[in-house]
Amino acid sequence: MAKKLKRDLTMEEQLARGPVDLPFLILVVLLTGIGVVMVFSASYATAYYDSRVAENDPAYYFIRQLAFAGVGMGAMWVVSRFNYQNWRWASVFVLGVSFILLVLVLVPGIGQTRNQATRWIKLPLLPQFQPSEVAKLGVILYFSSRLSKRNQEKPYRLNPRSVWSGPMAFLEKIGFLELVPYVVILGAVVLLMMKEPHMSGTLLILAGAAAVLFAAGIHLGWFAAGAGALGLLIVFMMSGYQSTRIQVWRDPWAYPKDGGYQIIQSLYAIGSGGLLGLGLGKSRQKFLYLPEPENDFIFAIVCEELGLVGACIVLALFALLIVRGYWIALHARDRFGALVVVGITTLLAVQVFLNISVVTNFLPTTGISLPFFSYGGTALMIQLAEMGIVLAVSRQIPAAKQG
Amino acid sequence: MAPIRRKNRVVQQQPDHRANRTILMRTLVLLVVFGVAAFVPLFVKLYEIQITKHDEYLGLAIDQQTRDSEVTANRGTIYDSSGTPLAMSYTVHNIQLSPHGVQELQKNYTEAVENAEEKGKKGPDYPEPTDQFIAEGLAAILEGVEVEDVLKRLEKVNSQYEIIKWRVEQEEEQAVREFVSQNHLSGGIFVMPTTKRYYPKGSLAAQVIGWVNYNNDGKGAYGMEAVYEEELAGETGRVVTAKNGRGTEMLYRFEDYYDGSDGDSLYLTLNSNIQYYCERVLEKGVEMFEVQDGAFAIAMDPNTGAILAWASSPTYDLNEPRSIVDPVLAEYLETVQNDPAAGEEAYLKALEEAQYRQWRNKAVNETYEPGSTFKSIVLAAALEEGVVHENDHFYCSGIAQVEGWNGDPIQCSKREGHGDQDLALAVANSCNPAFISIGQRLGAEKFYNYLENFGFLGPTGIDLQGESQINPVSAGIIWSRDRFSNVDLAVASFGQRFKVTPIQLITAAAAVVNGGHLMQPYIVSDIIDADGNVVRHTEPTEVRQVVSEQTSERCRTILEGVVDGGTGKNARVAGFRIGGKTGSSETGVKDHTIVSFVGFAPADNPQVIILLAYDNPKPVTSGSNYTAGGWYISGGNMAAKMAGELLGDILEELGVEKNYTAQASVLVPNGVGQSLAEAAGRIEGAGFTVRTVGSGETVTGQIPVAGAAIPGGSQVVLYLGTDVPTDLVEVPNVAGKGPTAAQQALENVGLYMRPTGVAEYNSSTVALSQSISAGAAVPRGTVVEVDFIDNTGGGAGWGF
Repeated sequence: MAKKLKRDLTMEEQLARGPVDLPFLILVVLLTGIGVVMVFSASYATAYYDSRVAENDPAYYFIRQLAFAGVGMGAMWVVSRFNYQNWRWASVFVLGVSFILLVLVLVPGIGQTRNQATRWIKLPLLPQFQPSEVAKLGVILYFSSRLSKRNQEKPYRLNPRSVWSGPMAFLEKIGFLELVPYVVILGAVVLLMMKEPHMSGTLLILAGAAAVLFAAGIHLGWFAAGAGALGLLIVFMMSGYQSTRIQVWRDPWAYPKDGGYQIIQSLYAIGSGGLLGLGLGKSRQKFLYLPEPENDFIFAIVCEELGLVGACIVLALFALLIVRGYWIALHARDRFGALVVVGITTLLAVQVFLNISVVTNFLPTTGISLPFFSYGGTALMIQLAEMGIVLAVSRQIPAAKQG
Repeated sequence: MAPIRRKNRVVQQQPDHRANRTILMRTLVLLVVFGVAAFVPLFVKLYEIQITKHDEYLGLAIDQQTRDSEVTANRGTIYDSSGTPLAMSYTVHNIQLSPHGVQELQKNYTEAVENAEEKGKKGPDYPEPTDQFIAEGLAAILEGVEVEDVLKRLEKVNSQYEIIKWRVEQEEEQAVREFVSQNHLSGGIFVMPTTKRYYPKGSLAAQVIGWVNYNNDGKGAYGMEAVYEEELAGETGRVVTAKNGRGTEMLYRFEDYYDGSDGDSLYLTLNSNIQYYCERVLEKGVEMFEVQDGAFAIAMDPNTGAILAWASSPTYDLNEPRSIVDPVLAEYLETVQNDPAAGEEAYLKALEEAQYRQWRNKAVNETYEPGSTFKSIVLAAALEEGVVHENDHFYCSGIAQVEGWNGDPIQCSKREGHGDQDLALAVANSCNPAFISIGQRLGAEKFYNYLENFGFLGPTGIDLQGESQINPVSAGIIWSRDRFSNVDLAVASFGQRFKVTPIQLITAAAAVVNGGHLMQPYIVSDIIDADGNVVRHTEPTEVRQVVSEQTSERCRTILEGVVDGGTGKNARVAGFRIGGKTGSSETGVKDHTIVSFVGFAPADNPQVIILLAYDNPKPVTSGSNYTAGGWYISGGNMAAKMAGELLGDILEELGVEKNYTAQASVLVPNGVGQSLAEAAGRIEGAGFTVRTVGSGETVTGQIPVAGAAIPGGSQVVLYLGTDVPTDLVEVPNVAGKGPTAAQQALENVGLYMRPTGVAEYNSSTVALSQSISAGAAVPRGTVVEVDFIDNTGGGAGWGF
């Protein structure tokens, strides 16, 4: 099919063919590149000593991460070409698929259990992945799509003669009725994910959803209420297994065997780095001291090898990416685009913040990976696809008026 | 209606400005919170871990990443000036037991036995590693290790580190290794390498070299080992092997770990041969003169300040620094041990004291009154200042009156007085009244200046342990300048009532004879690192020029006269020109004298200067001037005698050629086959006397044969028609005889005498020894060297 000439395009089609945001793209490519290199360095020893999975091939993880990064880049390109307006209606299906996957993962045989948690799903023809990754996107897309039309929704009105009309009117007035679908969806997702269980994933989905709701203009009181409820829940959960987690966080050296080991090793790695680091590839802690150095704790290896300077450069790149993400949201053509970008960017920011907080023992340990860095093919692919959505939004930013 | 509806939709698609502004504002809030604010605590936290706590975490990380054992650096070798090792290290092994490891072994063994029983197989093919088995095995191999000791150590089940025996030699080490491998004990018994210090020459230069104290981390104790501890020790390294999380070898070695570096080696200025001569002469003198408080001898190159030898008595074996080998100390210990009144405690205290006495270096740790040896310095000062001249005459009546002194007049050693003497003779006589007069001419001010300029008021700066850094004035052993009275000046002029260290004295004396240069003495000439690079090379350092070249030359001439017929005549060695000054120092304690001699040679161009002293020869009875062996207690009779022997050896070692003069041998001309008159004429012409045997006109034989070298003036026997006797004669004993009697005794049996030792004979000159011992059978005409000494009492006494 011959390419349509520009004059034959509708206004919308023309807009959708604008240039992608170059700074954002460059930052994504840069971080992915550094991330793949660091996966190589961090996983080298683990893979070398692992005869079962990696068959003693030091490049095992590197090759895979590199392949996924390539595929992910392709996905990002494809998604960025796709007119994001279509996600308005498609979001319903994404959310629907998310629910199906979240249920499926709980089905024995399809869900894969690791470390007493069933977070991975293996479907035919697809690589292993976590349904929660899809759910994050589904929730953000659906919420954005629904919230962007928030001002068009008719106020809910019962028959004035009904007994309920009074209380309902009150609930409508304080904005409760409007929130019901979101609360229901989130509640269902959280419930399913806690079944796995997947605390960190739940946290991230809540954060992404909250960001979209917040940007969309939901009354601040509800966030206070939500935060209070969450706080109560956390305090309640502290009683059991989670309480030792807090104690380990406060003094890892008191628990060198149960729980404290990983964080101690992480601190040794970061501390060893000093200002300039030991040099790329010269980490010592990756030699079977720091467990899974290519995964959640990869940033510790970054700190050890590249020092405070290298770590700060990586942090700065993340900060720039996040700021640029919000910049795209601010300039987005429509509310839907803005909300989607806010959701995705905030998700990324929270993930970065939580991961580095955990690695530096600023916060108690939870299993949150570092975007673009942590080893995990599907996660990286989905991450890049999300970046593709942001780029798609950036393409439709109206050009600044000349002169 | 459709268009309208459509139109409505379009209208509704118009931006809702209020909603848009909310999104805008809230997105900005998110931007600030997540894009900027969130990164601040992360940065702070990273800074805290990576910068503030960097060292702490790095240390902890390295602790877990390295195998925790040390590599002891090889201690540097100490060489003498010719490169002969005096102290060296070699590898030995500690036998180390890990009770914890033994527990594991025993557990494994039990498990293996149970396993085997279950499967019906045979158990381990080696004996069970019980505590008893291990203890007996080790005790059998290691000398001095008891079974009970090992069992006691094995009870400490949590210990990983129990050293059963330190520093075992190769033989025992191999036996332990075999025991371990045969019985599968490698997890419980370890053979760890370490080093041991070995001193190939035993006691040679013990106080200078010092030893290594294993009870103090193997650090040097005393001497060079202590002074140059830092250089010799090197740097202890950490094991370079890194381990991974499973405890196995790392893929690669870390680049930035600390390697140990071996210690530097020292090259000393000491000459082992000269050192040996010094020690021999000390040992000999201590025995001969019944010396009670030790002795010392220093030999120095006067032109550079390099120490050639430094001996101190009592001495000890560096390889066994705690055992007492010195006969005097051993005897003392024995008396304490056998004393029923003294308990075990007293013995241990005596042992400790004896050890301390043998370890300390007398010639730098202790001070003494220099006595008459100091007159050489007063002489140089007076000549330099021009207050005396060789032509000046001094009259000695036996006593001297000093202004300001109200006690008995100061006596000269020769009670009846030396009478009239010129300067050289006054020095040769070591005349106290003459030196009091010289001191008075100098004056207190100038005298004190020279005291300072010759270096007596501060340390010499020698690189030896124990030189006091305290100013002697504040230590109260030398007067302060403003309190230096006329009486003080008088006694100081002959070296009494103030104290110096021996090294100060010899350094000053070297300046007197070397052209006036006060040199800084030193012992280490080079420090070489493990790769053979010179780390430090010592250049001779001149502190200052004290007197002029000319003054120095005049002093040398006058001091040569001391040996050449003066109080130091016993130091004479035929063929060498030796100068020096005797000294007999008071100590303030009755019957305690320090006899000393400072000597240099050759007198015209000194190559070596020595200071030799014996501390406290034992008088036969209280107040006597003689020892039980009949030696008159004085520097001239004791120290000078031994110094002569020592200087002879040193000069030969240094390759200084002997130069005989009047006393030299003469070659016997041939008389055989000639007429008696002709032969007698030739032989007498050569300075011999002639005796004939038989009758006839023609000489048929002669003793000694032509070409033999015998002392001039000897008798040559000519045989006329008679056969020359070929039988052997017995050498008579001449020891104790005077020169004439000795010569007569030898000539009676047809032997010749060549006298050595003192050049001028008087009634108290006696033969000390002979080159061919009495009773030996030798051919007629053999030359016997006889060593004469002057054992006169008049040449010694107070102030010598």
